[in-house]
Amino acid sequence: MKTTYAALVVGAGVAGIRAALDLAETGQKVALVDRKPHLGGLLTQLDYQFPTNACGMCKMLPLTERDSSSQFCMRKGLFHKNIDMFLSTELTGLDGDPGQFTAFLRQGSSFVDPTKCIGCGACSAVCPVRVPSEFNAGLTERAAVHLPVPHNIPNSYVVDLDHCIRCWRCHETCPTEAIDFQFNRRATFHTLLASAEPGLAESAAEWIKDLLFPFAAETAPEAALEQIAQDEHLAMLLLDLDLPGLEPERFLARALELKPELVVVLLAGPQHAELAGKLKAAGARLVLDKPLKPKAAVPVLDKTFLRAASEKRLELSVAAVVLATGFDTYTPCPESFGADTLGYKVLPGVVTSVEFERMLSGSGPGRDRLTRPGDGKPVRRVAWLQCVGSRDLGKGVGYCSSICCMISIKEALLARQMLKDENGEPAAATIFSMDMRTFGRDYQRYRDSAEEEAGVRFVKSRIHTAMPSPDDPGALRLRYMDESGELKEEDTDLLVLAVGARPPKDLPALARAAQVELNEHGFLRTRHFDPSRTTRLGVFAAGSAGAPRDIAESLIAAGAAAMEASRLINIYAPLKEKVAEPEPEYRDVGREAPKVLVALCTSCPVLESAVDMEALIARLQSQPAVIAVARIDAGCTAPGWEKIAELAREKRPNRILLGACMPYAYVPKLRELGAALGLNPAFMDVADVYTPAMTAAREENPDRTALGREVFATLNMALARLVRADTLRQRSAAPVYRQALVVGGGLAGMTAAVGIADHGYPVTIVESEEALGGAAMRLRTTLEGRDPQRYMADLVEQVEKHPNITVRTDSRVVLSMGKAGAFSTVVYGRDGVATLEHGTTILATGGREAKVYDYGFRVHPATLTQVELEQRLASGELDAGALGSVAMIQCWRSREEGRNYCSRICCAGALKNLHTLLRKNPGIKVFVFYRDIMSYGFMEQFYTEARRLGAIFIRYDLENRPQVAFDNGKPRITARDPVLGEDIQISPDILVLSTGVEPNDVEELAEQFGVPLTEDGFYREAEPKWRPVDFLKYGVFMAGLARAPGNMGEHVASAKAAAERALRILSGERLDAGNVVAEVRHSLCSLCGRCIDVCPYGARRMDLDEDRIEVDAILCQGCGSCTAVCPNSAAVLKGFDDAQVMGSIDAALEELA
Amino acid sequence: MPATEHTQPAPDQSAAVAAMPDFEPTIVAFVCNWCTYTAADLAGTARMVQSPNVRLVRMMCTGMVDPKYVLKALLSGADAVLVSGCHPGDCHYINGNYKARRRIKLLKEILTGFGVDERRLKLTWVGASEGNEFAETVNHMVAEVRELGPSDARTMMAI
Repeated sequence: MKTTYAALVVGAGVAGIRAALDLAETGQKVALVDRKPHLGGLLTQLDYQFPTNACGMCKMLPLTERDSSSQFCMRKGLFHKNIDMFLSTELTGLDGDPGQFTAFLRQGSSFVDPTKCIGCGACSAVCPVRVPSEFNAGLTERAAVHLPVPHNIPNSYVVDLDHCIRCWRCHETCPTEAIDFQFNRRATFHTLLASAEPGLAESAAEWIKDLLFPFAAETAPEAALEQIAQDEHLAMLLLDLDLPGLEPERFLARALELKPELVVVLLAGPQHAELAGKLKAAGARLVLDKPLKPKAAVPVLDKTFLRAASEKRLELSVAAVVLATGFDTYTPCPESFGADTLGYKVLPGVVTSVEFERMLSGSGPGRDRLTRPGDGKPVRRVAWLQCVGSRDLGKGVGYCSSICCMISIKEALLARQMLKDENGEPAAATIFSMDMRTFGRDYQRYRDSAEEEAGVRFVKSRIHTAMPSPDDPGALRLRYMDESGELKEEDTDLLVLAVGARPPKDLPALARAAQVELNEHGFLRTRHFDPSRTTRLGVFAAGSAGAPRDIAESLIAAGAAAMEASRLINIYAPLKEKVAEPEPEYRDVGREAPKVLVALCTSCPVLESAVDMEALIARLQSQPAVIAVARIDAGCTAPGWEKIAELAREKRPNRILLGACMPYAYVPKLRELGAALGLNPAFMDVADVYTPAMTAAREENPDRTALGREVFATLNMALARLVRADTLRQRSAAPVYRQALVVGGGLAGMTAAVGIADHGYPVTIVESEEALGGAAMRLRTTLEGRDPQRYMADLVEQVEKHPNITVRTDSRVVLSMGKAGAFSTVVYGRDGVATLEHGTTILATGGREAKVYDYGFRVHPATLTQVELEQRLASGELDAGALGSVAMIQCWRSREEGRNYCSRICCAGALKNLHTLLRKNPGIKVFVFYRDIMSYGFMEQFYTEARRLGAIFIRYDLENRPQVAFDNGKPRITARDPVLGEDIQISPDILVLSTGVEPNDVEELAEQFGVPLTEDGFYREAEPKWRPVDFLKYGVFMAGLARAPGNMGEHVASAKAAAERALRILSGERLDAGNVVAEVRHSLCSLCGRCIDVCPYGARRMDLDEDRIEVDAILCQGCGSCTAVCPNSAAVLKGFDDAQVMGSIDAALEELA
Repeated sequence: MPATEHTQPAPDQSAAVAAMPDFEPTIVAFVCNWCTYTAADLAGTARMVQSPNVRLVRMMCTGMVDPKYVLKALLSGADAVLVSGCHPGDCHYINGNYKARRRIKLLKEILTGFGVDERRLKLTWVGASEGNEFAETVNHMVAEVRELGPSDARTMMAI
């Protein structure tokens, strides 16, 4: 059975979710798979993320047509009508061509039926197995049957078969018979032994009997094959490789041809190791060592049976594939106790950063665990060591993991905040590092405030030894050498190892299945200028699949991959038209007297045993609006729903209240029920009556009266809301001008324009210069030796020839009005004045190399910027052979107040020029004065190589910055060498300044579009992590250098991500609002305008013609700020109006009054 | 309707406590949809023991908690009111929690003026993953209000 989806997204971490949501929002059906039994990836374990030190993942949820997805905490789960989720599922093969792939998936079983599991935890309680919990990074233990992530919805348990000891106690304990170990299937799981070894058949028959598999044995290959062909129930073959006359490869091929699902277990002696490996690759499932030991073999065979009998194979037909495979965190190997692991797992106070995050987490083992593991005293000092498992050639990791510096700063800030003694004094936090790589746009300020305001100490050094402190046995003594080479010692209570990112362990297998290549570091190989493209057309890389990235960049990469996938889908499997699903016809019941049907789900015995149901039902029935109260068995299953629908047809209620568990999970079901009954889902609600019951069920002596009150109050409050629910007016929808405006015709602007135009929508590019191209046109080469000029020339040609793109050079925006879906912008330029109507806007106004004039720059010809050096080297104007020495000063007037951000590209630029110089003239002396070398990611290897080639790197800090003077035009640099501890003087032939980049001046433009700028003049995004290319003003997006500094590949990614966001608006004829939006009761409104000021989304405005306040339902996100501020109760939030809230307060306290 | 403890206004608090050693306070909690509601749910689903004295009123954002809702709850017999939302800087709606902070601060002053102990109104920030924090907050508040005794706001503020 083949199911068709527009795209397959592999990996359900944040990047996978972003890519899936991006596509789903444009109307495409997406299959989202993850090999783990839960979604959320690494971020399920991290509560706090830089740079806001909070979560906020919910900000990724759709802003328009909000009811198509669940609108609640995304850490719990995600339901979108266009996304189907497959967990515990792996991609095993990908056939076909771009646009027409067939993806083969294997979905493992959790052995727990999620439709039956009620999450009571009885199974976990009886399980005798205890293994380290992955969720808590090994700080706690879990049973073999466990909840992978305690806060996930649906919260059904899973069996970890690897650790299961097959005692079946969970199966026996489960109150709802949700755990299925396939006992019935054993009788039809025929097993065949093909072996001529004397006695083996008899002994095997003996122990296979225990497994209840019907057993047969053959002693010749041909007879075995015949048996395979004849026995229709034959499921497992034990193949002895010593079988006389066996041609193993041919035999296996034939056997699998006869029965593709056959589980082939090889019995191999040590001499067959190589052959066994080959056969395994050819489809054999398992190898058992000969001679067979039943004690070991039986559990393995049984688990093999369980897997084979429970797993599902799926075939999807998809147009495009997005790989969002993320990364694993490095585990310092406890065996190699030595300098590099600093006693991890040996000394109690040494933890990894992931473990530390779990210690701090609200869902972790508890903050009281933040005591010294050695002796339980409070933690008063924490030290971080950077680059554990990164930038370490000894461990074969030549790259920088890019994210650990920021993670450590965040953790240090959290530690300062959370670990306070009784006087409120925060714990000491010290970060030991080689460089602090704060290369994100606002990250330098984050680091500075950590140091200056929060009091985090930064030490430039690598700790080489950690041992128990001789003075204080519960503490650790750290030894390190400071920059001047002096040996230092200090004590700490905790040492956090900032572990790096590693390619996921199973990425090679996935890459083989998807037929894509890996790079030398083990991540997906991606294109240099196009980091979302892998080596296979139609397969795209999102998130950290190609290189370790932080959240914002992962999401940008995800958006870019989604855009590429969308482009392909558009060519091969175009969505005819995003047909707005016909709005189901709902009865108008708002004016009818409320008639409520209450259905109580009784599928789990806990409720009935904990609460006096008769009394509860009687109380509910006494409520005036309730017409019927029914008990429904298994409300969460299809028959249960049918029962509810039946009841509703019979009783004809105009409100339905369901008392069940997990209200979140019912959102899509209510929608279906509403369509079936002709009743708007806004008149239905689900109240969680099980959580209190479950909690009580665990107590020794639950107070039944209190519990009954609580359950009644919960239902009564929901009832009060429902009874007062008002007629919903037709949901607002705004028409969309399906055209885009891109301001800026550089790399980012052109990339975004092509992305949108390829989907068939007209795009206008407004460029202030006379030609397209922007700042990237000045680049001659890249660090990796690619040709940016050719890339840019191709792109310009593509834009100029594109039938859907209009280019207006020498033009600028004069005026813009409107909102998402309907902007109107006036452009003035060489071609005169034009008014453009467009649904969305992308601002990609770019930037430039910063101009710095001090210290003889632009006066003395021997002083250049990095870009000038690059151009002169490329044009031959500057002869590297004639130079004796070159000095470079990094961070020239940047990363300090005035321009306190890292320009991100200058270290790469310096390394690029340095390598060019050394290649042309190996004898040249190059001195680089730096503060922190920001060779993040795979760039690190060029830094390592530069040092190997003899370039001299001299660190400076702001107190001792290099002084430049000129002797007859020749620069003379005086600087302090931190290693020697004294001043040095260098007189190089040329001095190259890394001046960084700055954004173009866009104050006026920003004002025209009503979008904010950062203090450095970059565009300010809606949210630094979760909405990296959005403005708060919906419908306007940002891309390229105007957003943040970056290299060409990064700008291409942000441009594509912005294009994808814009496509979301253009993909429909109209934009639909959500159900929960604000309204105005005009008769009560005094036009004071407070609601306009307070609205964070600019959704309210004064209509001067009509003399009233209008709400834009598309922009309104339903926060209700206006309702609280309105002095006349004229501002109303649908579903939360005064009557409803007041009513539910009354209902909550009903028994007390 | 079953008889309840305090249909009769208590003449004085200490007497009330003495008369009802096992007084169970009722707390109305206005929680935001995105953070604290999730945390409360987590506290429930993760089976953290949580006092059954809380009635959760889900709001989209703490920024929409109108002071009149708080007054209504106190006047209708709640012994205390908890308002809880996202941490500062983490509001799903950008700045709703700051609005709540200003509002609750003023409201506390007003309530104190009317003789309501300010411990009967509490504003906290509980993030979505902080189920334990929510359980702690509630348990702590229940203990505190148990000390204070039943609220006599209804009789005091008889209007």
